[in-house]
Amino acid sequence: MSRGQGMAQFLDNLKAAPRRFAESAWRSGTPNTDRSRSSFVFGNVFLHLHPVRTHRWSLRWSTTWGLGIASVSAFLITLVTGVLLMFYYKPYPDVAYDAIKDIHFVVPTGRFIRNLHRWAGNIMAVSVLLHMARTFYTAAYRKPREFNWVVGMVLLVVTLGLAFTGYLLPWDQLAYWAITIGANIAQSPREVTDALGMTAVFDPGGLQKLLLLGSEDVGAEALIRFYLLHVMILPLVLVLLIAVHFWRIRKDGGLTRPEDADRRVGGPAGIHPSFTEAPQKTYHLAAVVRGRTAAVGRGPEGTVPAMPHLFYAEMAALMLTVFVCLLLSLLIDAPLKELANPSVPENPAKAPWYFLGLQELVSFSAFMGGIGIPAIVILGLALIPYLDRETTGTGEWFGGPGGGRLVAGSAVFGLAAVLLVETFAIRLGWIREWWLAAPQILITLVNPGTVLTLIYALYSIWLVRRHQSGRAGALGLFTCFLCGFVVLTIIGTWFRGPNWGFYWSRAHWPGH
Amino acid sequence: MRGTKHLLLWTSLGALLLLGWAAYAENFRQEWRLLQAAYRDRLPADRRAEFQAQLRQIVVPALNSVDRCVTCHLGMSPGDTALPGDRVFGPHPDVSHDPAQFGCTVCHGGQGRATVKADAHGDVRHWPEPMIPRRHAYAGCGACHTHLAIPETASLDRGRALFERHDCLACHRMEGRGGTLRPGGAGGMEGPDLTAAGARGYDRGWYPGHLAHPEEGRTGAGDGRAEAAGAAGSGARRWQASFAPLPAGDPQAIDIYLGSRVGAPGLVEAKALFHSIGCRGCHSIAGVGGDDGPDLTREGQRDPGQLGLTHATGGASPTGGAALTGWLADHFRAPARVVAGSAMPEIGLTDEQIDRLTFYMMSLRRSDYPEALWPKDRIRAERFGEREFATDGPTLYGTYCAACHGRQGEGMRFPGTTAFPAISNSDFLAIASDDFLRQTIRRGRPGRRMPAWGEKEGGLRPDEIDAVIAQVRRIGGGVVARPDPRPARWARGDSAAGARLYADACASCHGATGEGGEGPALHNRVLLEAAGDTYLFETIRRGRRGTSMAAFSDASPVRRTLEDEEIEAIVTHIRTWEVKR
Repeated sequence: MSRGQGMAQFLDNLKAAPRRFAESAWRSGTPNTDRSRSSFVFGNVFLHLHPVRTHRWSLRWSTTWGLGIASVSAFLITLVTGVLLMFYYKPYPDVAYDAIKDIHFVVPTGRFIRNLHRWAGNIMAVSVLLHMARTFYTAAYRKPREFNWVVGMVLLVVTLGLAFTGYLLPWDQLAYWAITIGANIAQSPREVTDALGMTAVFDPGGLQKLLLLGSEDVGAEALIRFYLLHVMILPLVLVLLIAVHFWRIRKDGGLTRPEDADRRVGGPAGIHPSFTEAPQKTYHLAAVVRGRTAAVGRGPEGTVPAMPHLFYAEMAALMLTVFVCLLLSLLIDAPLKELANPSVPENPAKAPWYFLGLQELVSFSAFMGGIGIPAIVILGLALIPYLDRETTGTGEWFGGPGGGRLVAGSAVFGLAAVLLVETFAIRLGWIREWWLAAPQILITLVNPGTVLTLIYALYSIWLVRRHQSGRAGALGLFTCFLCGFVVLTIIGTWFRGPNWGFYWSRAHWPGH
Repeated sequence: MRGTKHLLLWTSLGALLLLGWAAYAENFRQEWRLLQAAYRDRLPADRRAEFQAQLRQIVVPALNSVDRCVTCHLGMSPGDTALPGDRVFGPHPDVSHDPAQFGCTVCHGGQGRATVKADAHGDVRHWPEPMIPRRHAYAGCGACHTHLAIPETASLDRGRALFERHDCLACHRMEGRGGTLRPGGAGGMEGPDLTAAGARGYDRGWYPGHLAHPEEGRTGAGDGRAEAAGAAGSGARRWQASFAPLPAGDPQAIDIYLGSRVGAPGLVEAKALFHSIGCRGCHSIAGVGGDDGPDLTREGQRDPGQLGLTHATGGASPTGGAALTGWLADHFRAPARVVAGSAMPEIGLTDEQIDRLTFYMMSLRRSDYPEALWPKDRIRAERFGEREFATDGPTLYGTYCAACHGRQGEGMRFPGTTAFPAISNSDFLAIASDDFLRQTIRRGRPGRRMPAWGEKEGGLRPDEIDAVIAQVRRIGGGVVARPDPRPARWARGDSAAGARLYADACASCHGATGEGGEGPALHNRVLLEAAGDTYLFETIRRGRRGTSMAAFSDASPVRRTLEDEEIEAIVTHIRTWEVKR
């Protein structure tokens, strides 16, 4: 081999390097056929969580409204903007506040990035809640997706935890007093242990608060804890759980759809290639996946390649979320009040909005509102898939006995009940107003929150008996709690003023 | 699929558009950039090239301040050119402290870190330290300074009047006025600017010294303008022809005035008014004063967001420094209308007085700076216990007593309160010994509005009490107490008869058990201890002219005349309350 040949070879290699780099990165060549697209999807570390083919039922907007993707999109936005904010943020009292002021006034586009972070966080909380409601109402938690529902529950709690820990970081009055409220809720088991006279021996409430704040009050220790939770621990947990959540969607057979989804989405209109024969091979035969799999027993006419159909849908949901976040960030600044001042309590001191429903209950009983009822709700939600073993209505909105009519009726009942109980408590007061010396344990057990929970529970049991169906009871209960949550949150947000008194509008608040 | 594609297309385009707009607006359309562009256009051509459009800030680590005010107020930015006369780009007025060294917010308030006008000036919600409005700008001195030995208004006014009457303004400048007469030609004989004479010190002996030795006195103020000596010979003679020795007492009065000039025009007058109408009788500042009303130590730093602005009319905007000054002015006009249930009476102030008091309130700041940075006056007041006000009789009286007892000791009556006694009454002063007055001021009247000024923290010191007594006698026309040859307790009347007479003649005003009503309370422990029988006896016998207390020994068509024995019986009866307690 002459020297010239070697040189030519080298030049050829050099010329081919970009192409070869692309080949080595993508492996499956240009994804321009269904086959190469499939290879592209399962050969890519980020995309392989997707199925190669997606059922057309799953791609209908009304199936999911894109809420899961919206949640994860909002999370991605907070992730990116959060990292940017970390360049300037300093987690130390007073300095933290100055850092936020500098981000707002001096850092190029800092104000905008902070707004984005705040709005994306709020949108994430909303879309996660809506996503849960969607999953529930389409009965998508049913076998084999029970575990993914439980993972979703944990994701909800972690999401709220992320939002809550982020609330303290600006170190302003809003943050300081919201976290003080939150920490006192964490301490609220003391209400029970005090009533039982055993706080000196056993004080889980005090321990919880101490673990959360690292001190008796919200201070430097609490700030560094919340910072660490907010930027490291909770995001890591969230990313891990999101991975599990996505992976389980795929392994559980994609999104839920009704038995007759194939018939309802119609024939394979213009989708190629169309399959006319029953498949010869399933994953089931290979013992890779247990139970029924997507392809067993019927042709895949209802499916389309994930690339590009699913990706378009996902990207559209992502971009819609991004657009909404950008628009809100341009229009409305994230709040920032005065520097935190432990000697000037905010009145009313309000928790973040997603906890205001709970704070409304907390105003009656700290333990029941802050810990008891939320625990019951989370536990009840987690148990739903294990109690509801029915199959009718899976994948349908409001599927199950009673259907939409039952949900509408439950909404009316749920709204009426929460409004009645609130009106009663606001107009006439509660036990302590009539009987000053009432034992605290009585109020812990009997307060508007527990009464409302009981009413909802009884209503749901009545539904179970009437329809002879656990799903009917679950539909009623979930709807009732959703109505209760919304109404209580609205009351806590807009109708509560100084000393948590009821006011029709802010203009009626007494002057100081 | 088609719909999805459209959604993707339009949301992506929209997001790109919004991102592009945000990047543009956040980087190129900020208020300060537009202002700096306008500034650059107005610069002289040779300066324009070197002007850099960028944020500017004055950082004072010791004060923990980062003041970006100079980003827009470029005339005050070190190294930039001022555009004289411009509202935004003009230079900072000449003041004692260099803004480049002290920063801006330390004096003016506002939000130093902000780069947007509304935020920077504090005219937004959630900023507790808005800028002090321009007309009260010198109130900012109160962030560090307390200013010592402020006299009451009358002394100050007299000093100023004399300063002007004796033509001092001919040569000297004072707060922007005067210095117009220059006998030796322009600049030849100008005297020093006395605007900050009280803070910088001045030679009190200069005027008489110059009269005696005109050739030396010419530079007597330590001005060091020896180079003007050549032209000055004839000027000095002319000076001597125009100026004569001052009448006795005038130099002292002028000294009081000059001593109060600290370079903060208006502020001293405002503070003097506060110490002339007895505000400290109820309010304390830095622990000095009464405690019936709220502590005013940091009144000027109140957060406008925390004020109840519902009933205030002055400050239309609920934010910013104007909200606080408006609230204060409304409050001085009618306290109870702004603060529900306020016990402060309507004092009947003129608009000018209200403005001055508002000015002084705004200066009550005392920011938390490290003590090492405190000016001398604050150290002397807060650590060495020196008074912020003069400790002469008139000022002390104006500081502690005037609100209730009247500026001339005539007594006061406000709606909803009991009447405050007239203390300059000559009938009273004729029988009240200095010792009685001293006891009264020192121990007060327990249970009544009169505090024990000698015993409480923030009260009066013994020599100050003596000065107040002297002042009370002075405004009472110089009446001294008649010496009382009798012992303190001599009344040996029939107390049963005294009780009947008391119920008949006294109870309607002084209460059935001496608890007071229209008239003062008589069963008061301190009163009964301090007052001798002669005092009580003579008060009943001679009454107090000009008050509701009649002379009971005089004949009257509407009540019976009391004989001396009867009065003695009443005094004996009154004394029984002392035993009971």
